[in-house]
Amino acid sequence: MENFSEVYSALRRKNRKQYALLAGCCFFSVLLITAYVCMMRAPSILSVLPEGGDSRKQVMMVFVLAVIGCGVFTTYAAGLFFRQKSRETGVFLALGAARRQLKAELRKELAVISLGSCAAGAVLGGPLAWGVWQLFRMFLVDSQEMQLSFDPRSYLLSLAFAAYVTAMLFFLGGRSVRRTNIIDVVQESHKSEPIREVKRWYGPVGIVLLVIGGFLGYIMPSVFILGLHWYPPEGSTAIFYLPALVGLYMILLHTVVNGWRKSHRYKNIISTSMMKFQGRQTVRNMLVMTLLIAGAYFASFYAPMLGTGFMMSIENRPVDCAYHFRADQDIPGENEVRDLARRYDVDITSWAEAPMIRLGVDGTEHVEIDGKLGTTWKAEYRELMNSDLFFSESAYNALTGAAVDLAPGTVAGIFDADGSGQGIFGGGTTLLTNTITGRTLPVTPVEGLRNDTLFGRYVMDDGDYAAMAEGLSPEWREEMVLFNVENWAETYGFAKALFEEIVDRSGPEVEQYDAWDPVRKQQAVDAGEDYSFDREHLVENGFDYIDYDQRDSSDFRMYWLYMPQFRVLDKNDFVTTMAVFLMLFIFIALICFAAVIVIAYTRCMTIALTNRQVYDDLRHLGAPGAYLYRSVRGQVSKVFLVPCVVGTGLIYAFYAMIMYFNGDSVGFTTGEIAGMGTCLLVISAVSVLLYGVYRLTMRRVCRVLSICKSK
Amino acid sequence: MLMVQDLHKSYQVGKNTYEVLKGVSLQVETGEFVAVMGPSGSGKTTLLNCISCYIPADSGSIRLGDAELAKLDEEALAKVRNQKLGFVFQDFLLLDGLTVRENILLPAIIGGTVSALTEQRADQLCQVFGIAAIRDKYPAEISGGEKQRTAVARALVNHPLLILADEPTGNLDSKSSRAVIRSFEQAKEALSATIFMVTHDSFAASFCDRVVILRDGVVWRTLEKGATDRGAFQDELLDAIREMGRE
Repeated sequence: MENFSEVYSALRRKNRKQYALLAGCCFFSVLLITAYVCMMRAPSILSVLPEGGDSRKQVMMVFVLAVIGCGVFTTYAAGLFFRQKSRETGVFLALGAARRQLKAELRKELAVISLGSCAAGAVLGGPLAWGVWQLFRMFLVDSQEMQLSFDPRSYLLSLAFAAYVTAMLFFLGGRSVRRTNIIDVVQESHKSEPIREVKRWYGPVGIVLLVIGGFLGYIMPSVFILGLHWYPPEGSTAIFYLPALVGLYMILLHTVVNGWRKSHRYKNIISTSMMKFQGRQTVRNMLVMTLLIAGAYFASFYAPMLGTGFMMSIENRPVDCAYHFRADQDIPGENEVRDLARRYDVDITSWAEAPMIRLGVDGTEHVEIDGKLGTTWKAEYRELMNSDLFFSESAYNALTGAAVDLAPGTVAGIFDADGSGQGIFGGGTTLLTNTITGRTLPVTPVEGLRNDTLFGRYVMDDGDYAAMAEGLSPEWREEMVLFNVENWAETYGFAKALFEEIVDRSGPEVEQYDAWDPVRKQQAVDAGEDYSFDREHLVENGFDYIDYDQRDSSDFRMYWLYMPQFRVLDKNDFVTTMAVFLMLFIFIALICFAAVIVIAYTRCMTIALTNRQVYDDLRHLGAPGAYLYRSVRGQVSKVFLVPCVVGTGLIYAFYAMIMYFNGDSVGFTTGEIAGMGTCLLVISAVSVLLYGVYRLTMRRVCRVLSICKSK
Repeated sequence: MLMVQDLHKSYQVGKNTYEVLKGVSLQVETGEFVAVMGPSGSGKTTLLNCISCYIPADSGSIRLGDAELAKLDEEALAKVRNQKLGFVFQDFLLLDGLTVRENILLPAIIGGTVSALTEQRADQLCQVFGIAAIRDKYPAEISGGEKQRTAVARALVNHPLLILADEPTGNLDSKSSRAVIRSFEQAKEALSATIFMVTHDSFAASFCDRVVILRDGVVWRTLEKGATDRGAFQDELLDAIREMGRE
């Protein structure tokens, strides 16, 4: 051994586990982030996540959590590495090594570790995402939209994270050598991580802050927009969640340092005191794990909530099949449908059809104003704002079997059965306009009707209907068809064939997004502006493209203006229609749970490795195996189980709050209650998995410390 | 060879300042074996750390050979630590990943002066301190006494002007302590080493030529061994310590 590099090389061989741990953590973090980014930025995924939509925001929010989690985790691993390495550094400095010598060697090492692990993580992240996706396609669900392609530009985000990891390693490495007091450096490895005194009120106050932060964060955007008529800058209202974060930290601190139960003073003295003196890092790790678990569950809940709610809404539809079409379209009528049904051995048990007219309606427009304070809005009443569809009372009665009798000059909006759609459809129009003749009719809205299938339309007096329909051309008239079949669950072939027929025979003039409105369109034309919901402008405005050739896509099935509602078709095709959403969120949950497991495992193994001497001393003092086991369990269970319990409880409560305040009426709908129930099943399954990992980790920690419970 | 004059050093703990060294002056001649004793908090280790260039003094001067340490920059101080000083620590500070021989050679490796001659000297030191048989073993495989003798050999490999030892017997049993003190004596006799040792142990100090006793950051008394028998010198040291306790 003749030079300094060879000394470093020998020490590397000796400490290869520490190097492997650091490199592994960096590799794992970059791998996860790259896989996530590849998936999140994949064109095929982006195409189904509407720009500015909730799904994309949720994906981004969990991504931010994952980045923070992986960032803190790698920083922790690096800190641990340099702390363990500080003794070597101190010895070298004490024996006269110049800092520049140490820096040069350290730089070489860090270059290999950071570039190697980051490059490996970045290179394998894409294949990992692709592989997991292919497994989903192979074993869970496949559809045309599930074909995955990656955008090479997504690697920029991955590279940015890798750059952070590299810069952080070099910064911490440089700092560990720069420390001037050699004595401190030599003694660094003996230092504990004390935390300041934690008062017992930290726990309760933390809970209060958590609740306040969660509530404020959720409610404040609405307060600004609806109360102050001000659109806060994108993301700025997230600041209101900060008390929740502080509260969470306080709860974890209290849990680690004080505990919630008043147990015997000396019962858990070893584990409690050891946790106290590794407090800062432990609590920080636990906070990251808690947030990641919350993020993972947030993603996990997407599929059950969506699925359960959707399935219930399908089950609760009053009729098996419903479709509507513009009067100028050549869409199959009763005879054709019955012929088709016969070909598929389907028995149509009831048939009802009725006309509707499209009338202009008044309303209050939110006019946005850009000013010094950002964007504000003011409400402006418009006599002709957009259009809605209207049934006559007799048509409505014919379709539903009801006996509605409205007074002339009144209209009744049709709401969904549980009232959750009132935010979408207000049902409060007061002035109707025949857009062809210009005839107007002032009306008074009366108590709304309930029907899931006919949701969003109005019912009016027969006389008013006849008067207002006069002079309307076929483009302003529509036909609604409702029918039931025998054994609906076995009529998929028929439903699919009818759906194909309807799409095939629909003209290009109705190949429109469901928000497309002829009154709005005309207003845009009159103003010489592009209409955002015209097909050619949909994509540039961040909406999904509607295309008859993509009739099985989620975009088409969810957003085509004339999409039929066939119970069997919607139910059977739900998973394939929503495949990308469902699988994407499952993928995200997998990534987050994987990160949680690795962080928890690493932290627990660190506890084992750094406290080996303590356990040897306790053994020498005569502590039996069961006592040592209990002490280890006290620490491992806190690291593992506390974030699981807190993160799970937190996100479930948050989700419940969202559901409770969702929609115009405060409270839970049946679908939401069922969804929350399904989420509980997901929690149970994941908790069993996490408990299994905890048990395995516990076993491994005991093996490292040579602790046997029974001895 | 080592001249310390009017050395002051204080520490800041919160808002309080504690003056640990309050004007220490002493001198060590070439080939001398000097111990510094004193109760806890008297400033022994702080004095050693200042001489070792690990911490800067507030005022006063430390001259090592012809170099005034306070005037040297960081690079030059590193060179002094490597070329002119040798260190023996209470907890040995050997690197676990290197063998005994490699640990001994470490100062030479750091200084970039490894040659066949250096390796020969390392082997010679192993012979002198009775650790030749374990020279290819790792620190985890040898006893505390052997570790400390390895540390003494490491301290001598670069022919330093001065060996600084901080409680070298503090972590050792009596047999190992005796072996380490014997190795210091050998270093002094066979290799003409100059040794400056901080210790609590009157037995270890009784082997020295001179013992400087610190109290409250100043030199309280200096005892010369001269022609006195070692046992009598240890009694003299114990008497002095008892006397200090009575004052």
